[in-house]
Amino acid sequence: MGISDVIPVPVAVDEEISKWTIFGQPVADVWFTTTEKIHQIIEMGPIKNIFNWGRKNSVYFLMQPMGCCGVEMFVFGAAPYDCTRFGCMPRNTPRQTDVMIISGYITRKYLPVIKNLWEQMVEPKWCVAIGECAISGGPFYDSYNIIQNTADYFPIDVFVPGCPPRPEQFLEALMNLQEKIKQRKDKRGY
Amino acid sequence: MDGIIEAISSFASQEPAIYYLIIGIIGAVVLSAVVNIGAMYVIWLEVKLLGDFSARYGPNRVGGRWGLLQIVADAIKLFTKEDSIPASADKPVYVWAPIVASMATMLVAAAIPFGALYFNGKYYPLVVANMDISAFYVEAALSLLVIAAFMAGYSSNNKYSLLGAFRGIARMISYEVPMGVCVISVAIMAHSLNLAEIAQNQTLWYAFAQPLGFGIFIVALITDLGRIPFDQSEAEEEIICGYTTEYGGIRWGLILFQEYNNMLLGSILLTLLFLGGWAGPIIPVPGLSIISPLIWMFMKVVIVLWFLIWTRSALLRLRIDQVTDLGWKVLLPLSIVNLAWAVVVGSYFA
Amino acid sequence: MTTASDVLSAVQSAFPGAVLESRVESDRRLWATIDSNSIVDVCKHLSEKLNFDHYSGAAGVDWIARKEMEVVEIMASHGAHQVVAMLKSKTPRENPSVKSLANLFWNANWYEREIWEMFGINFEGHPGLYPLLLGDELVGVWPWRKDFKGYPDLTTGQRAVERPTSEGYTEYFIPPTPAEIEAGTVPKEKPKYPSFREREEKEIKSDSEMIMHMGPQHAMLPGPFLLDILIEGERVHKAFLDMGYIHKGIEKIMENRTWLQGLTYTDRMCYVASLSNNECYCGAIEKILGLEVPLRAQYIRVILEELSRIQSHLIGTGEFMTLIAGVGYAPWNFMIIDRESIISLIESVTGARLTHTFVRFGGVRNDLPEGFSDKCRSALKYIESRTKEYIELFEQDPIYHMRMENVGVLSPDRAKRVGISGPPLRATGVAYDMRKEDPILVYPDLDFKVVTGTRGDSADRIDVRLREILESIHIIEQCLDRIPAGPIKTETKVPKKIPAGEAYYRVEDPRGEMGMYVISDGGDKPYRVKVRGPVYATLQTLPPLLEGVYIADAVAIAGSMDGCPSEADR
Repeated sequence: MGISDVIPVPVAVDEEISKWTIFGQPVADVWFTTTEKIHQIIEMGPIKNIFNWGRKNSVYFLMQPMGCCGVEMFVFGAAPYDCTRFGCMPRNTPRQTDVMIISGYITRKYLPVIKNLWEQMVEPKWCVAIGECAISGGPFYDSYNIIQNTADYFPIDVFVPGCPPRPEQFLEALMNLQEKIKQRKDKRGY
Repeated sequence: MDGIIEAISSFASQEPAIYYLIIGIIGAVVLSAVVNIGAMYVIWLEVKLLGDFSARYGPNRVGGRWGLLQIVADAIKLFTKEDSIPASADKPVYVWAPIVASMATMLVAAAIPFGALYFNGKYYPLVVANMDISAFYVEAALSLLVIAAFMAGYSSNNKYSLLGAFRGIARMISYEVPMGVCVISVAIMAHSLNLAEIAQNQTLWYAFAQPLGFGIFIVALITDLGRIPFDQSEAEEEIICGYTTEYGGIRWGLILFQEYNNMLLGSILLTLLFLGGWAGPIIPVPGLSIISPLIWMFMKVVIVLWFLIWTRSALLRLRIDQVTDLGWKVLLPLSIVNLAWAVVVGSYFA
Repeated sequence: MTTASDVLSAVQSAFPGAVLESRVESDRRLWATIDSNSIVDVCKHLSEKLNFDHYSGAAGVDWIARKEMEVVEIMASHGAHQVVAMLKSKTPRENPSVKSLANLFWNANWYEREIWEMFGINFEGHPGLYPLLLGDELVGVWPWRKDFKGYPDLTTGQRAVERPTSEGYTEYFIPPTPAEIEAGTVPKEKPKYPSFREREEKEIKSDSEMIMHMGPQHAMLPGPFLLDILIEGERVHKAFLDMGYIHKGIEKIMENRTWLQGLTYTDRMCYVASLSNNECYCGAIEKILGLEVPLRAQYIRVILEELSRIQSHLIGTGEFMTLIAGVGYAPWNFMIIDRESIISLIESVTGARLTHTFVRFGGVRNDLPEGFSDKCRSALKYIESRTKEYIELFEQDPIYHMRMENVGVLSPDRAKRVGISGPPLRATGVAYDMRKEDPILVYPDLDFKVVTGTRGDSADRIDVRLREILESIHIIEQCLDRIPAGPIKTETKVPKKIPAGEAYYRVEDPRGEMGMYVISDGGDKPYRVKVRGPVYATLQTLPPLLEGVYIADAVAIAGSMDGCPSEADR
């Protein structure tokens, strides 16, 4: 039993709100999911370039060390390679991140976890596969526990080869991703 | 010039309701612009200073070598992200929490003088609502933040969020009291509860007149702002992001801005209460003499902000029980000692 | 001093007829096959009478040609003597079952669970045989058996079927491989056991308690594992640990690679200590071959392993500081900067930042570059001054003392009993270091002391690591003074096929005792490689240590252990 059982969740309020209308539209629609509609309107316009300028210069990544590349990810985020120069910062909750760095082997047990993390991230979001393991299973490609076809599960924009890649390659991946966002050539079409 | 002022005053006497409505709207717009742009550059200052303290450059790719537009990019990104609400969240409360937080901040900002202008040998404080009890009012409005934090923590239906909210409440309750007592001590010495008057009445800066109170107020302020070593409610390595764990996009942006708004307002409050506000020698240059109080104020606030950011890169995080221990067992008795000191010294000065 | 032959004769006289086969390899290694009925009694006798107080691990071996399975118990002592006893007990391949040691040694629990899930060997009297590394789908197919049909599995990801759970999350079901289905080896009846979630939810006793997940992705973790804590308010009542999120099956893969190819996998077991892992694997093979490593190569290995220890401790400490101070904490960045100077030094020799594959059978891959000695000395001088600064900084920081002192205290007795090793053990005051206990290379000639703590708390664990950096610098300086000229590889050519034999080799990893048990059947591939890693033991110790502490302390304790889940999962 959690706190939501002690304090009754005001479902009634929720239902009540769903009945209200404004300009003939349900209030709840206007209130909760306007971003999607706004997106549709601005999809093709030049204002999109301004949006993408903001997005490309503020790429927060999900702190999720998985393998050898995870150690290089720490270094990439810290002083010697300093990703904050590019407006790139590590965040810990998927809700506040824009790019997921797959930094290692995806196993059978970790696949649902990483998929759920990906689904919890809010749009627009991008995915970068760092290292051989994240691309194809790497040296563990024939193991009974490793997923080889990562690209089938995630729309990966940048692949970085190496076992593990150097932190400079992380920076390069970041710059490639920024270029892709700027030119609207990323997989998800932002 | 005189004609315009006359016309306005005659309009104000004929239609007071419309006049105050217009003035109120202008004040609100100016206030929120000043506060939010201020918060943006507090964020920028923090990122740059944190970089400097830890041998990094900080953002330097957009807006010249100082990365001045970095925060604009961050804002554009945050404000154009998807609006996601967890399926199991308590939707109305979840939606309102960031708004309540911003509202609380604006309520505080309305009563705080951001500086003063000097002409005709007099100081004219720049404040939207110049109340007689503004010190008391600011204290009260600051405690609204805890309600917003709890709304966010409870409605997210996430264990990290809930723990973060609980921690935030425990922390705020234990530090509001010593902080309030410090403000009372200052008010006793200044014979006023008006922040502008408190700032002007400081012949000797209260940081020197009551150093104990100054120390307690700094600690309580850092706690109120939820910064290291008192950032238990958002302790990233323990409970991810505390009560903001489930917030993303524009809602998180609001909470983030509100935090840095508070940091700015907190520094201004500290400057007003203990560092003499805008006091400082008037620069004897025709154009600059009017804004010279503003320049002094700005410099003092930046120094306070620098100190607040410096603690983040130099100190470790306390445990929540140690925080409440410190609040109730050390700071509260000390603040009462400080109150007695203020009464004695204050009556001597009177 | 007790030698292996003394131990053998003591066991033979206490249990006449129990020792079926025996081999005294050296003064420090005893190999014996014990009658499977009396294995528990023998182990009890060893631990009570002969000072074998360190249960170091267990390995399963599938002897498919002989139609039997073997469980090898590895027993050692915390400094009373230096004998490692490898006790084998055999069981038929049909319905394999041996007696459990979990009631005798607390830490046997996880080793036996691993053998059960991988080989299907049942342990009689084990308190709970649940899978540890494998997901529920793979339990019952016994993947490390030699006749496992699902091994070269190139289509795992393609076979996965996505399905939502009742709570709205995504789950995957991955059916068996076509080869498995064709061979008919898919188990018809899976072993029945409560799942991890059911096991932890059973422990919720009142309404005010809840389970908080720390992991598999959490800011606290150096890699994916699941630490669930049962909390009431801010208090942790119980902790549960689930691993296997990055289980790659390295031991199975190595059986299917040539001897030299296997070396690259040791790099990727723990990527911040890869030189120690290289050394361990090569040392075991050199032992089987009876190779003598040239003196210069030995010195190069010691220099690099100590450099690697320094960088590992620096990143371990730095990461830990972010756990109790947040990522804005400046010394974390300074530690990473310092580490980069060591990394570039290693890189100038091996050509890689993390995964080196540098140590080779009977030597090293290449010689030190020109001017290495001077560069190394100046870098070490810098690191030494910085490390002293960090020690001073932490000593003077009152908040550091408030947060770290008397947190997660391990008593020496308890630390020995739970089988922990490395800095967490030495922090309790037990001077147990493989470089002294089981000396390899030129360590016996070098002058260094084992750094120990006094209280065994989190502060001590960090302190021991930082002072070990100073000790490593001292070792490297001696090596640079003494390093002779000469060949860097043995004259004898290392054959493609290693002659049949077995060896157990131990080195001091930055995280503790790393041992590899290598079996060759005379082929060009290893028959079995068992890795006894330090982090596996450390993680096993973690849950009971977290009982009754605050959440913030749980982070401080887990971080101070410097775990590397990749090595634990393998």
